[in-house]
Amino acid sequence: MLLAILQGFSELFPISSLGHTVLIPALLHWNIDLASPSFLAFVVVLHLGTALALLVFYWREWRGVVLAFIASIVRGRFSGGTDEKTAWLLVIGTIPVGLLGLFFEREVRGLFASPIPVALFLAVNGLLMFAGEWLRRKDQGGHALTSLTYFGAVKVGLAESLALLPGISRSGSAMVAGLLMNLSESEAARFSFLLGTPVILAAGLLEVPRLFDPAAHVALIQSIFGGILSALTAYLSLAFLTRYFRSNDLRPFGWYCLGAGVICFVLFFSGMVKA
Amino acid sequence: MKALSLLLAIAFFVIAVLYWIGTLQIAVHEPGPHHKHAVLFAGLGILCLIWFRFQSSAPSRVR
Repeated sequence: MLLAILQGFSELFPISSLGHTVLIPALLHWNIDLASPSFLAFVVVLHLGTALALLVFYWREWRGVVLAFIASIVRGRFSGGTDEKTAWLLVIGTIPVGLLGLFFEREVRGLFASPIPVALFLAVNGLLMFAGEWLRRKDQGGHALTSLTYFGAVKVGLAESLALLPGISRSGSAMVAGLLMNLSESEAARFSFLLGTPVILAAGLLEVPRLFDPAAHVALIQSIFGGILSALTAYLSLAFLTRYFRSNDLRPFGWYCLGAGVICFVLFFSGMVKA
Repeated sequence: MKALSLLLAIAFFVIAVLYWIGTLQIAVHEPGPHHKHAVLFAGLGILCLIWFRFQSSAPSRVR
């Protein structure tokens, strides 16, 4: 249940859910086999819960975006509407994430999914957020999502792919890229959450067969409860973050990631905590 | 560009089918069918068809 809350909370906060899934069990000596079929099946349910929260929270936007997308296909040309532009930005931004995720996810995570590199990447994630805020302040950004070009959406999608490295946050890297494309904090956050929805949903749906793996031993009640808990915490996180980014920036998350990353690195590298 | 979009769509759908039935084993970790790869390439195929649709309905000449 703690993992469900952790997933729902950290998936959307720019602090790397995967990094925390590696670091916290190692710090607290939880005996979890992160590669076991049962654990992976449980993670599928948690992802579906998070995706559900994203869909419900942005329900009106998704409805408008999907309808505008279908209308533009039927029409066979662009109308220049806001929802239509958002729809195509999301489609184009999702392509690099999908391609890179599918072909490189296992290799990258296999190489780096141990506490020491994860702690380092978490610190790097913090520095990325400071860099994003610093560069944006120089450029005086603050534009709406519709000002983003399609090439800009590809860049945001590529930045989001950095989250293949455990410790680098998906939402954080997408937000930093959005800031560098001169979006405002709230618009960068909105685009990051919208862009994350198909990715998280696909990650959950494509792994659904794991639930029926004979080796998985899925405890039905536990999984359903975990999924609901993950959805609830993700929804609350979204409600908080969308309000937070209207008048605040990424720096507090940057400080957290930098501090937590450095502390964890020292603990694991010095042997004070066994990695 | 119309021909290119259609050719790409066909190529992506063929790759999707080959991954689905397990014939194509490029950039995979274990032998057998690879449904995730197939879904991704089918998605790219659909996007190319949409591109083709946009090309088809674009005005052929400017008056």
